[in-house]
Amino acid sequence: MSEEKDNQTKILLVEDEENLAHGLEYNLSEEGYKVRVAKDGREALKFFDENGFDLIVLDIMLPYYNGFEIAKHIREKHPQMPILMLTARTQIEDRVKGLELGADDYLTKPFHLKELLLRIKGMLKRKNWYQKVVIEHPIYKFGNNVVNFENFKCTKGKKKFQLTSYEAMIMKYLIENRNKVVTRKELLENVWNMNPEIETRTIDNFIVRLRKHFEDDSSNPKYIVSVRSAGYMFTE
Amino acid sequence: MNRRRHSFAYNLVIFVLAQLVWLAVLLLWIYWYVSNNIIFEQVGEKVAPQIVYDAPSVFPFVGGIVLLTGLSISLVLIFRHLNIQIKLNALYDNFIANVTHELKSPLSSIQLYLETLNSRDVTEEKKKEFYGLMMRDAERLKNLVNSILEIASMDKKKNYKDFEVYKADETIKKIILESAEQFLVNKDSIKFSGDAGCDILLDRNSIKTVFDNLVDNSTKYSISPLEIKVSFKRNTKKMEIEFADNGIGIPHDEIKKIFQKFHRIYEKDIPNVKGTGLGLFVVKEIVKNHKGKITAFSEGKRKGTKFKIELPIYLEKKKSTKENKKDIEK
Repeated sequence: MSEEKDNQTKILLVEDEENLAHGLEYNLSEEGYKVRVAKDGREALKFFDENGFDLIVLDIMLPYYNGFEIAKHIREKHPQMPILMLTARTQIEDRVKGLELGADDYLTKPFHLKELLLRIKGMLKRKNWYQKVVIEHPIYKFGNNVVNFENFKCTKGKKKFQLTSYEAMIMKYLIENRNKVVTRKELLENVWNMNPEIETRTIDNFIVRLRKHFEDDSSNPKYIVSVRSAGYMFTE
Repeated sequence: MNRRRHSFAYNLVIFVLAQLVWLAVLLLWIYWYVSNNIIFEQVGEKVAPQIVYDAPSVFPFVGGIVLLTGLSISLVLIFRHLNIQIKLNALYDNFIANVTHELKSPLSSIQLYLETLNSRDVTEEKKKEFYGLMMRDAERLKNLVNSILEIASMDKKKNYKDFEVYKADETIKKIILESAEQFLVNKDSIKFSGDAGCDILLDRNSIKTVFDNLVDNSTKYSISPLEIKVSFKRNTKKMEIEFADNGIGIPHDEIKKIFQKFHRIYEKDIPNVKGTGLGLFVVKEIVKNHKGKITAFSEGKRKGTKFKIELPIYLEKKKSTKENKKDIEK
């Protein structure tokens, strides 16, 4: 099929529950997305490798390869690909594992159709924003840090490391708004697109991780500073 | 059920060590008694012959041995129960996760379709399709709830009440075709052969559950187009139903475990992950309740699976005794 011809957003839907996949495919198509359904882990990897998708909706319990393995594979090849994990598992470890492996969002079954569509919209919006700002300034240097916002690869002096997509987005957002106070709410709205499940504490955790990456002394931050009872600020 | 089949290497080592300690104590006890006895016999006689009568009596010796053996046996029992408990706990956690998945999947599908119907202008044709899909999901939920309830009633050792006499070949064929329809299996892919030509006493609903599970498993665990071969045979006292598919088969080391409660096979190249681990357990219990026997065979991976079900043939004479039994069981 001619992928280049249309600028329709393409979604890869990985779901082994036939009925659910069918209903989701119908709804996403109705929203104007172009949907391809993979019914197991093997198909998911095959489709992903041969086609350019804009977003992936991914179930966890899948035949052959599970959602975590697929997320890992996708992240290695395509760090910026938005992944929405969809699963019946509710254990907190699963959620943490999913987010750590680079899922951008997590929705538990049964879910509300409206919420799913909103999240997908938000993720795509965020992706577009990110791509736009990244094209303008793909590489940013501060102190002895170099951040490549395209492939999330960073160096600090001689140390090399990789950011997750969320870490990169938060960093980008802070840098775009440097010397301005960014509130937690603002981050929630713009980076997470107001995910009610994510608490402000999550943001604090991300900030801690970013400081560990970039600060010489993470307990005494120089670049990512806290502004008491307001939020965070990036300064140089 | 599955008491002796777990891998308990670690616990086994501790258990064996503990038993060795008991054995050592026991030997020490015997040694002590015997050596004391010898001293008494040798020295006692010389010093004062009347002491011989006060020599250590057999009673504490035997008592000691009984006590030590008793402790050793209780250790065996504790060890066995501990192992069963550990194994069950792990299986149970797995089961809960599986049931959660099995409950939530059809539920989310139903919810999705309801919300879709509620919020979109769906064409009449699509509406019909969606209703059909929702009904299938509801059916799936019903089956799941039923098998859980079935397990609960089995645990209470309740028996089936709806035993009736049926013509074996005809009824089983009909039941299998019903199951096939339910799981969207093409009727032409099921081949029947043989003839048992007898009557059997069965509870139709539960035998339907048996074949529901077998057919469902065949569809779930097949890659190439599904083929099921069913054959009927008659022995002197039993009829034999063979149910064979061309699915992915069962690895040799798993074949004994498939009838265990909550047991599921986790392997990379299995094309399906759905299930609770209850299906074949329920199947086995139902067949057992029919005074029958079920065994599974597989030549290994990708070579299909064969189930052999033996059910007692119903003879006119037995009628009264069977019914008496039924009354007693009630």
